[in-house]
Amino acid sequence: MSGKEFFINRYEQLGWKFVEATPRQAIRINLINAKGKNLEERLLNAGVSLEKIPFLESGYWVSESRVSVGATAEYLLGLYSIQEAAAQIPATLFTSLKGKKVLDACAAPGGKTVQLADLMGNSGLIVALDVSKKRLAPLANHLERCHVSNTIVYQLDARQASKLKIKFDRILVDAPCSGNFVGDKNWFRRRTMADVERNARLQREILAEAAACLSEDGEIVYSTCSLEPEENEVNMDWAVRHLHLQIEEINCHGQEGLTTIFGKKLDGSVARCRRIWPGETQGFFVCKLKQVGKR
Amino acid sequence: MKFALQVGAQLALNADFVVNKAGRYFLLNEALCKVARQDFYYAGTYLGKVKNGKFFPSFNLLAMLAKGDANKVIIDGQAAWLFICGRDIFRRSIIAMYGSRKKGAHTLVLNEFGECLGFGKIVCSLDEKVRGDEVAVKNILDVGDFLRREI
Repeated sequence: MSGKEFFINRYEQLGWKFVEATPRQAIRINLINAKGKNLEERLLNAGVSLEKIPFLESGYWVSESRVSVGATAEYLLGLYSIQEAAAQIPATLFTSLKGKKVLDACAAPGGKTVQLADLMGNSGLIVALDVSKKRLAPLANHLERCHVSNTIVYQLDARQASKLKIKFDRILVDAPCSGNFVGDKNWFRRRTMADVERNARLQREILAEAAACLSEDGEIVYSTCSLEPEENEVNMDWAVRHLHLQIEEINCHGQEGLTTIFGKKLDGSVARCRRIWPGETQGFFVCKLKQVGKR
Repeated sequence: MKFALQVGAQLALNADFVVNKAGRYFLLNEALCKVARQDFYYAGTYLGKVKNGKFFPSFNLLAMLAKGDANKVIIDGQAAWLFICGRDIFRRSIIAMYGSRKKGAHTLVLNEFGECLGFGKIVCSLDEKVRGDEVAVKNILDVGDFLRREI
């Protein structure tokens, strides 16, 4: 159960006609650092033209660039981050972040951690975890470059987050996933359903641990860059049935989550999730969860 | 801190909030202090590290120092670009100077927007009449280091 034809056939059954997609390069302005600094004008002078992304507050497409956007002085000074457009969505879905205790359960390389810190105005605290030691150095560099001051980083498997003995107000689970074919020309060759199922299991374990670390009125935002429903809608259906969580309405870019997967009917609330098929952005999935009775 | 004095700055940090983690120094806020365990990898504001007895400041620390009185040179746009590529600063590229201008002093290097790009060592007295094409500040550390670290 693998190969391009196999996966394309699955996507068609889910209602999407396969097209090769080349997502546009995007940046996100770090509002704390860039405030009052005329960043757009400065980048234009440096040869970088930006175009506002209509569905994001601080996101811009790079419409033209004579220089590498990852090597400008403005980038090195932390005025902006390079962050794919769809990947900018999850952190914006939390109700309020200022002064909160936030867990970024699978944080490296830190794009969303920095975004959370920016949205929090460096207030409260973020605990950022990653299981891989070699991924912690890029995360730390990202935090230093963007002058993040409210974050503590541990090398820890998200499935052991309760060892920290902290109840979090907000938890971001940007789960390790199978990814998608956009930007990875070998994806169809490398991926099998066994990978998808293994990742889906891991994601459920992380979600269960996140639910155990959530404060009473807390919120979890779950996201992946996988197109496979087993890692997305099916997992959300599982969370509703097993973790005493409910799916919240969100208002963001993307289509409703699928409620029928290959003939299997899921909980109707799964439609509140958002699925983004590849196009201007990469493929993506996002969902917001709260404990039952706390909407 | 000794390094702050080196660049003509004053810095008073609450020692209770500064943590030394295997030679790397971090400034924590109150909320972080309450939850921090010993085994963290990174926390709060990274201040710098001590290696072989020598202190290497972080860019966060340099930016903090640049907000107050310190030895500073402000350089023009082209020199700013060359500086973050690791190059030294010619006298003619310096738009303004604050604090010590003495040879051998350390100085923060800022761009025309007042953002700290790094620091360097004054290699000829900035008071003297020197030729414009003479190196005035030798690059010690610049923000281009973020790119070099990733290689």
